[in-house]
Amino acid sequence: MTKPPPRRAFIHAAVAAALVVAAGDGPRRVSAHRLTSGGDGRLVRVEPIDDDPGICVTASDGQLQRALAASRAAEASAQQGRRRASMPVGGDRVGGDPLRTIRDPNAAFAAVAVDVKRNEVIATDENLFQILAYSRTEHTPDGAPRSTPTRAIAGERTQIEFQSGIFVDPESGEVFVTNNDTRNKLAVFAQGVNGDVAPVRLLDTPHGAFGIAVDAAHQEMLITIQHDSAVVAYRKMADGHESPIRVLQGRHTGVADPHGIALDPRDDVVFIANYGSTHDVSSSIEKRTGVPSAGNDAGKTNWPLGREWAVPGSGTISAPSIVVHRRAASGDAPPVRVIQGPATGLDWPTGLAFDAAKRELYVANDAGSSVLVFDALAKGNAAPKRAIKGGRTGLANPTSVFVDAANQELWVANFGGHSLTVYPLDAAGDVGPRRTIRSAPPEAPSLMIGNPGAIAFDSKRDELLVPN
Amino acid sequence: MFAGLADGNARRVRAIEGQQTMLGRTMHAIAYDPIHDEIAVPQQFGQGILIFDGGAAGAVRPKRVIEGPRTQLIALDRLAIDPINDEIYVPEGRKVLVFPREASGNVAPTRVIAGPDTTILAARAVAVDTRHNLLVISASPLGSEGDSERSSEIAIFDRTAAGNAKPLRVISGIGGTQNIAVYPEGGFILAVGASYVGVWRLEDNGKVLPRYTIGGPNGKLVDPRGVTIDAKTKHVIVTDKFLNAVLTYAVPQLFESLPTAR
Repeated sequence: MTKPPPRRAFIHAAVAAALVVAAGDGPRRVSAHRLTSGGDGRLVRVEPIDDDPGICVTASDGQLQRALAASRAAEASAQQGRRRASMPVGGDRVGGDPLRTIRDPNAAFAAVAVDVKRNEVIATDENLFQILAYSRTEHTPDGAPRSTPTRAIAGERTQIEFQSGIFVDPESGEVFVTNNDTRNKLAVFAQGVNGDVAPVRLLDTPHGAFGIAVDAAHQEMLITIQHDSAVVAYRKMADGHESPIRVLQGRHTGVADPHGIALDPRDDVVFIANYGSTHDVSSSIEKRTGVPSAGNDAGKTNWPLGREWAVPGSGTISAPSIVVHRRAASGDAPPVRVIQGPATGLDWPTGLAFDAAKRELYVANDAGSSVLVFDALAKGNAAPKRAIKGGRTGLANPTSVFVDAANQELWVANFGGHSLTVYPLDAAGDVGPRRTIRSAPPEAPSLMIGNPGAIAFDSKRDELLVPN
Repeated sequence: MFAGLADGNARRVRAIEGQQTMLGRTMHAIAYDPIHDEIAVPQQFGQGILIFDGGAAGAVRPKRVIEGPRTQLIALDRLAIDPINDEIYVPEGRKVLVFPREASGNVAPTRVIAGPDTTILAARAVAVDTRHNLLVISASPLGSEGDSERSSEIAIFDRTAAGNAKPLRVISGIGGTQNIAVYPEGGFILAVGASYVGVWRLEDNGKVLPRYTIGGPNGKLVDPRGVTIDAKTKHVIVTDKFLNAVLTYAVPQLFESLPTAR
C-alpha cells in the first residue's frame, strides 16, 4: 500500500463535520466530534488526531462524505426555498419520495491546476459542485475507495456550479473558477480556504463561460464563452459588475463553441479549443426577446452579443479546431493559425495547457479519451507530435490538462473516470500514469450526468434518454 | 442512456457522443419518436436539429440534420416530435416553428405560430396531444416582463395552429416553468417548476392551481428541468440539474383519475 501523505483535521462549522488536511510527520486518523461554530463559514478549529497508519484514507472518507453531504443538503434547502415562491402549490403532493434515483455520488473532476509553491493540486468537481485540494504527491492506494482531499470548497456561499475552468495563481494561491451554463459568475477564492466560504471576488461573466487563462505579464485574464463563441478579456483582479477590457467575437475569428484556452507568453498568443458549432450575431438586427440570455449585460462594454442577437439560420456545425490568436486580438479578427483536419485527431477538444519551455501544446481530447501534443507552431491538418492514449493510460473523457513545469509532470482531469492522472511531460503512447488520485472506487460507473435539462423515455428499449 | 429500471450509480447502457455526432456537451433537450424509432436533439449553438436512429450509440453521424438560413432557427433549447402527424415543434422566443418530421437540410418551417394574439412573449417548451389534437405551449406571456407570477403560462392551441392564432385556453399564474409533458390518455399536463412538478388537466383554463404536485414542495427535487412519462409503469421521471440526477416517481393515482374541479 502506498504511504499516504501526512494529515490533520480541520473542523468546519458550516459543514458540521470534519474535513481532512495534511500536517505533521505521519499519517493520522480523523475523527468528527465537537464543533465550534464560527457562524460565518470560517474555519473554526484545527485538530490533530491520533496516528493510525495504513487506514487513514479509508477512515476519514466516511466523515468527509458526510460533511460534504451535509453541506450539499444545506445548499439544496436554500435553493429550494428561493424557488418555492415562483410556482403555486395546489393539490395533494403525490408519489412521495422517488422510487429510484440515478445519481453519481462521487466527485467528477472537470478541471485541474497545481499550486507548485504550496505543493497542492486543486480540481473542480462538476457533479457535486466542489473544489477539492489534495497533496500534489497524493496517490490513491489500490484497495482504497478514494483519496480524501485536504480541503473542499463547497456550499451555498461559494456560488459555484458546473465549474469548468480553473486557474491557481502561482504567487497568491488564489483559486479562480469559471461557472459554466447555470451561474454567470467567475468566483475567486482566497488561498487555503475550506468549506462553505464566499469568494473574495465574484465577477459577472457572459453566459457560458468555460476556460480561463491568466497572463501575468499584462495582468489580464481571458475567458472563453461557449454560447456566444467569444473570448472576453478582463483585468486579472476584476470584480463585481466590471466590464471586460476587450472581446473577440465574430465569424472570422474561427471561435466556435470554445472550451479550453492557453497562453504562450513568449509569442503573446492564445490557443483556443473549439468543438466547431456556432452562429452569426449582429447588432444591426432587431434584438429578440424570449431566447435564452444571461440578462447581465446592462451597462457593460466589450460584452459579446448574445443569442438575442443571433442571426436566424446562420448556424454551422463544423469540424473541431484549435485557433491561435494574438493575445490582444479583439473584434472579428481572424486567427493567426488554425489547427484543423482529420489528421489532428481532435474529438471534442476541451482543456488546453502550454509548455512554454518545450514549446508544446497539450490538448485534453474528451471524446477521444486521449491527450494530444502539438508543436507550438502547428497549423492546418497537422498530426500531433505524440499522443497519450490507450487502455493503460487511465484516461477517460479527459476535460482538463495542466503542465507542472517545475516537476516536469502533466496532470489530467478525467471527467469520465473519477480521477486525476499524472504523467511525465514526455509521456507518449499507451503509458500508465505515474500517480492517480481517485474520487471513487475504480469499478464505480462514471455517469457524467451534467446539467440534465431534459429527459425522454424510449418505450421500445425501456431506456431513459438524458442529454447533457 | 440508462435502463428504465436503473437506480443509484447505475452504469449507462449506451451514449451518443463525440465529434461525429455533431453534438456538444451543452445539449438541453431530447425527444423520442416511438413510431419511427428516432431521437431528435437540438444543437443550440449550430442552430440545427439532429435526428438519430433510436438505437444509435457511440460516435455516429445523425441520419438527418435540419439547418440553414430558411429554418429561422435561433437558439433552440427545446423541441417536441409529433410522430402521428409527422411534425417537429421548436419553441423559439416569440415563435413556435413547425417542421416536417422527415425534413433534412435547409428547409423552411411549414408553419410558424407567432403574433400578438398568440399571447406568447417567450416560448419555453412544447408538447403535442395527438389524441385531442392539441398543442400545449409553456411560455412567458406578452406583458409579463418583470412580473414573476406571470412569468409562465400554459397556452393550449389547436394542433394545426398557424400564424397569429389565438389559444383555445390559457392556464395562467403558474410562475416559472421549464419542460412540460402531456399524457393525452389521462388528460393531464405535467409542468416542471420550482422544486416540483405540477399537474393540470388539459381542459383547465384560467388561474387554476395544480391538481397534484410531484416530488415537492419540500421533497427531494431542487431544480428540476426535464420530465417524461412511462405510462406502462405509471411512473413520472424527472431530471434535476442541481442534483445531476434522474428521479422516478410512482404515481398510479395520476393515471387512474384526476380531480375535475377545485
